[in-house]
Amino acid sequence: MTEMVRKSSGDEILNHWVLAVSCILLIISGYGFLFQTEAIGSLFGGFNTMKTVHNWVGVVFILSLLFSMRHSFKDALEYDEDDRQWFKVAGGYLSHKVKVPPMGKYNPGQKLYYLAILGAGIAIALSGFAIWLVQGNQTLILISHLVHNVSFCIFIIAVPVHIYLSTLANPGTFQIMVNGTLPLEVAKKRYPKWMKAAGKM
Amino acid sequence: MANDNTKNRKAILVTPEVCIGCRACQVACKSWNQLPGIKTKNNGTYQNPPDLASAAFNIIRYSEVPSEKNPVRWLFVSRRCMHCDDAGCMKICPAPGALYRTKEGAVAFDRDKCIGCKLCVNACPFDVPRYDADGKVTKCHLCFDRIGAGMQPACVKTCPTGALRFGDRAELVSTAKKDGFGTIYGEEDLGGLGTVYAFKEEPKLYGMTDDPAIPSSVVFWHTVLKPFAVAGLGGVVAAAAIHYLAVGPHKEEEEV
Amino acid sequence: MTNHWIDLKNADVILAMGSNPASNHPISMKWIMRARERGAKLISVDPRFTQTSAKADLYAPLRSGTDIAFLGGMINYILEKNLYFKEYVVNYTNASFLVSPDYKGPADLDGLFSGYNKEKRSYDKATWSFQKDENGLALKDPTLQDPNCVFQLLKKHYARYTLDKVTNITGTPKEKLVEVYELYGSTGKPDRAGTECYAMGWTQHTVGTQNIRAMTIIQMLLGNMGIAGGGINAMRGESNVQGSTDQGLLFHILPGYNPVPNAALPDLATYIEKNTPTTKEPRSVNWWSNRPKYITSYLKAIYGTAATKENDFGYGWLPKLDVGQNGSWLNLFDKMHQGQFEGFFAWGQNPACSGANSNKTRAALAKLKWMVNVNLYDNETGSFWRGPGMNPKDVQTEVFMLPCCSSVEKEGSISNSGRWAQWRYKAVEPPGQSWPDAEIMNDLYFKVKELYKKEGGAFPDPILNLTWDYGEKDTAGKVKHIDIHAVAKEINGYFLEDVYDMKATPPKLIGKKGDLVTSFPSLQADGTTSCGNWIYCNSYILKDGKEVNMMARRGKDDPTGLGLFPGWSWCWPVNRRIIYNRASVNPQGEPWDPKRPLLKWNATKVGPTGTPGAWEGDVPDGPAPPMGTDGKFPFIMKPDGVASIFGPGLNEGPFPEHYEALECPLEENSMSKQRINPTIKIFGGESDAFYSCDARFPFVATTYRASEHWQTGCMTRHCSWLLEMQPQNFVEMSVELAKELGISNGETVVVVSGRGEVQAVAMVSERFKPFKLENSTVHQVGLTWHFGWQFPEDGSGFDSANLLTPTVGDANTMIPESKAFMVNVRKA
Ligand code: HEM
Ligand code: SF4
Ligand code: SF4
Ligand code: SF4
Ligand code: SF4
Repeated sequence: MTEMVRKSSGDEILNHWVLAVSCILLIISGYGFLFQTEAIGSLFGGFNTMKTVHNWVGVVFILSLLFSMRHSFKDALEYDEDDRQWFKVAGGYLSHKVKVPPMGKYNPGQKLYYLAILGAGIAIALSGFAIWLVQGNQTLILISHLVHNVSFCIFIIAVPVHIYLSTLANPGTFQIMVNGTLPLEVAKKRYPKWMKAAGKM
Repeated sequence: MANDNTKNRKAILVTPEVCIGCRACQVACKSWNQLPGIKTKNNGTYQNPPDLASAAFNIIRYSEVPSEKNPVRWLFVSRRCMHCDDAGCMKICPAPGALYRTKEGAVAFDRDKCIGCKLCVNACPFDVPRYDADGKVTKCHLCFDRIGAGMQPACVKTCPTGALRFGDRAELVSTAKKDGFGTIYGEEDLGGLGTVYAFKEEPKLYGMTDDPAIPSSVVFWHTVLKPFAVAGLGGVVAAAAIHYLAVGPHKEEEEV
Repeated sequence: MTNHWIDLKNADVILAMGSNPASNHPISMKWIMRARERGAKLISVDPRFTQTSAKADLYAPLRSGTDIAFLGGMINYILEKNLYFKEYVVNYTNASFLVSPDYKGPADLDGLFSGYNKEKRSYDKATWSFQKDENGLALKDPTLQDPNCVFQLLKKHYARYTLDKVTNITGTPKEKLVEVYELYGSTGKPDRAGTECYAMGWTQHTVGTQNIRAMTIIQMLLGNMGIAGGGINAMRGESNVQGSTDQGLLFHILPGYNPVPNAALPDLATYIEKNTPTTKEPRSVNWWSNRPKYITSYLKAIYGTAATKENDFGYGWLPKLDVGQNGSWLNLFDKMHQGQFEGFFAWGQNPACSGANSNKTRAALAKLKWMVNVNLYDNETGSFWRGPGMNPKDVQTEVFMLPCCSSVEKEGSISNSGRWAQWRYKAVEPPGQSWPDAEIMNDLYFKVKELYKKEGGAFPDPILNLTWDYGEKDTAGKVKHIDIHAVAKEINGYFLEDVYDMKATPPKLIGKKGDLVTSFPSLQADGTTSCGNWIYCNSYILKDGKEVNMMARRGKDDPTGLGLFPGWSWCWPVNRRIIYNRASVNPQGEPWDPKRPLLKWNATKVGPTGTPGAWEGDVPDGPAPPMGTDGKFPFIMKPDGVASIFGPGLNEGPFPEHYEALECPLEENSMSKQRINPTIKIFGGESDAFYSCDARFPFVATTYRASEHWQTGCMTRHCSWLLEMQPQNFVEMSVELAKELGISNGETVVVVSGRGEVQAVAMVSERFKPFKLENSTVHQVGLTWHFGWQFPEDGSGFDSANLLTPTVGDANTMIPESKAFMVNVRKA
């Protein structure tokens, strides 16, 4: 039996899925609003329910996003020389030939991705709440509308990249989000610094 | 103006010069639309309700401006939805069919389809849409139900002096010009308004918005961000596919 | 109206004075705007810059109550500048008539006319008469030069109304006066038409009738009577007020403007003799010489077969006034206030808010034993006993509420200001238990009749003999439901026998027994015809064997292009759309203004009687040929056949003279020593107090209506859409006055007069300006009288402006002076 290491705790996994599902729901419904897409609306049983869903899932989304900061925020702020090196080789994604520096638990791409989602998420949430709840302040609402949509553009790009990288591009990664573990051998290769720190290497 | 709906487009022509401020138009609208009475108070002016409201689709704006020969000039102007050809409200509205264009060129609304997001008022250059107790949009709909049945809008029908006229937009505009009205407010603005005003003086004197425009953020969003949202998503998906094919997924074996 | 609403479009100059058509008669503005499109000019003369002023080509302010000074100045200007229409004046008015040399006017008697009796506050009018020749015809000087001729007397009278004098009285800037006079005077040309629109702004003064007289003089001088686009046009304040006056609503007239008999006229013969004018002038039609036919047919209509030649057609059953008795509104309520009435039907009215001096009115109601309030809604009158200042425990009046229908909940006719009787249909079912007025009357009538039958009473005959054939009867003889068409037909009249024209040989059948009368020339004085109101005869006729309701016609043809629409509804008399229309042509029968031919004599066309010569256009004032071709004079209702510039009929004099309002801001009338109208009745009661030049009440006030409400607002305040636009009583005032009083726009203030006080929202604006008089500045304020404490229930609308108005009336009509009185304003 291969030895497994735990990368994500149970609540982290739950958090991730709540975040992911809510985000996808928001993106889909948001897309429906943006392009007045009847088909998307009917997925939700009409635009009226879709709006309610969008607004309240938005609440879930921002809560889970804030919750995620508990385990991810600190990591995402720490970068070392290897990380800098990592950028130079573009994380090795453009070519399998280059030499990628040794990484910790998360590579800087993931860390930046997280920060982007966090920032855009907070922005989209704040602006969303403003659109939802504020009345009679045209400037604020128009700015919020803009912010909401700019953030959406960030999401629309970042989220699919993230999904691709964590599924097709990196086979096996997806599993971490299912049971939180991965084989020790794989972990040693991918996250040598984390494994060293954990005394497994 | 290039829009399709400028052909056979209907409009209301407002001629403040012959408006007597009798407000039959206000009542007629409420009557036809069965809108509830609003509890108001007198604020030291005839103008009441003070502005458009969820139960007031049109109001007469009373303004006093200096005059040379008289103690004052007292102006009466009907304020209502302009049924813009390039309508900010429709542009920003996220719910399909909540605001829609009738074949006569009116911007009407469907209460059931409106999701009550209240965005439209912010994109309207004239601060027109209002929201009822359920948060649903309300505003003048050019009596789409009446004009669709070959009748005049209720307010027009009841106006005693001809300060409100309904008909073929092009015809109304050209008659007004023939009658010596030098400025047709809304002739070209926003692709041409569906409520046009005939003036002999500066529209500004009557409190009309100078150069009405849809807020630039809404225009930017509409012309840049929306396409970008499609292109962005499409681009990312395409990039992933190319990457998958060209570079391929990560292989553990290659790791040193 | 001598003309009608649509005709306003034919005018070249429209003078809106004493009225605010844009607010109160918006439909009239449709036609005024049409006129303006043609290049006509609208003049607005008003103390306040109104919605009408906002549309006017020329606005002139004037202090409330000074209209005669303003118009007198115009008469003077017209005469001085020779702006009058000489041919018209000479031929169609009494300008050339010689007046008794004993006549003296205010120019000689410092504000009074000859014959004044100070104690009685009235005139002996003997000297206000014409010199007659041996045949009884008035002496005339067609050159208008004789110092005793009307024209010269007119000139002398109004020469005193110089621009300086007028501007010092009215507060109108001199150059504005000249502008108005010049513009309106321009209609003295044959091809120009000027019209006047007045409403309560002229009538509700102690000099109300004379205000209108002054204008008629101007219209006669300018040749504006009887023509398209001319006339004197009373804009009625209620949709059917014309109809109700026509049908005898007022205490002194029976239907069709026949006077109510008084105790000095014991029989029909005396009544007829006293009330039928005669003339020696062979060319005067003197239409009122037909009075015997009209009164007899009226008696036949109301008493039916019970009216016989032997019993004077039941004349004795008509109620009689005491000699000199005035039963008008102010007097009735004064008597009620003195406790002289037991009961009162407040039918379709709201006197607790509409009556001048409402505190007195309300107190008067408390003196009643019972009151029946017939209305759409409970109102301040029905609920007076629980109103402000009332202690319900102390009020013994028993109040009954009878809910009735609004006009759209029943069928019938409405006569508009233009005398058009228009038939209307029921649009909706009445709510709840409300009944049409006629049904309420029906029940009431049969109940009263039953009591008279049972108990006899002092004088049962007038009730027992009344005809009441207005529909199917039940076994007890009671009409089940009123058939309103039966009423309309009774008003039109029937032939009660086969009636023949005895002048024809052989006598020609005019009408068969039982048929509807076609027109009033067929009415008879011998009891063979009935007619409830002769001026409505022709409104419901027999045509080709079928009964035709002329009022229900909806023809849209306009053959003259002048908007007469002769096939639309029906207009009294005999569908004549513009009365005195024979004055629109020259003595030869050619229109004064060929561009606007209202009437035209066609000498070759065969007339209705088969003789050559006939009128074309409107229904003429009689078929006779034009005056210059041996025909008749144009003013057929006048015994002399001409219009009266010198009019001896009114109580305060043959020429209008300026007097200040009973309550006024000036110590002196700058026209004369006579400050107020010398013939008005002064009520002396404690509650009738009035204050002139009193520091406690320094500002002139007037009342008016807004577009959004109607009368006391009883109907309109219950309509939330209207209340939304005008939710509260307001008082308009100048920026200058507000500053003086420290009042800001939109603030609630209290307006106080010698009789009461009322709250209102201050509307401070440039639209009101102080009046600069010779030695003083006069401030004026204005309030609406649409509100009352009873509804809206929270009292947010405040109460009626009539709490302020005085108990004083016009010397002829007794209409209260609610357009000029004195108040103070303070912060609430
Ligand atoms: C945190 C919470 C969020 C809230 C409170 C929120 C609220 C709103 C509101 C009020 C609207 C306007 C339409 C409506 O009322 O439904 C809206 C529209 C939209 N939302 Fe959100 N939202 C949130 C998160 C998101 C997220 C995470 C996305 C996508 C990643 C998103 C994408 C969109 C899009 C694309 C629109 C349509 C924009 C438009 O048509 O103007 N929203 N959102
Ligand atoms: S005026 Fe405002 S609400 Fe009306 S169509 Fe134009 S943008 Fe829409
Ligand atoms: S409130 Fe209704 S109509 Fe207005 S933008 Fe939102 S969905 Fe559209
Ligand atoms: S067109 Fe119809 S909805 Fe619009 S203001 Fe007039 S009456 Fe009201
Ligand atoms: S009904 Fe016509 S005249 Fe009257 S206020 Fe309205 S627009 Fe003006």
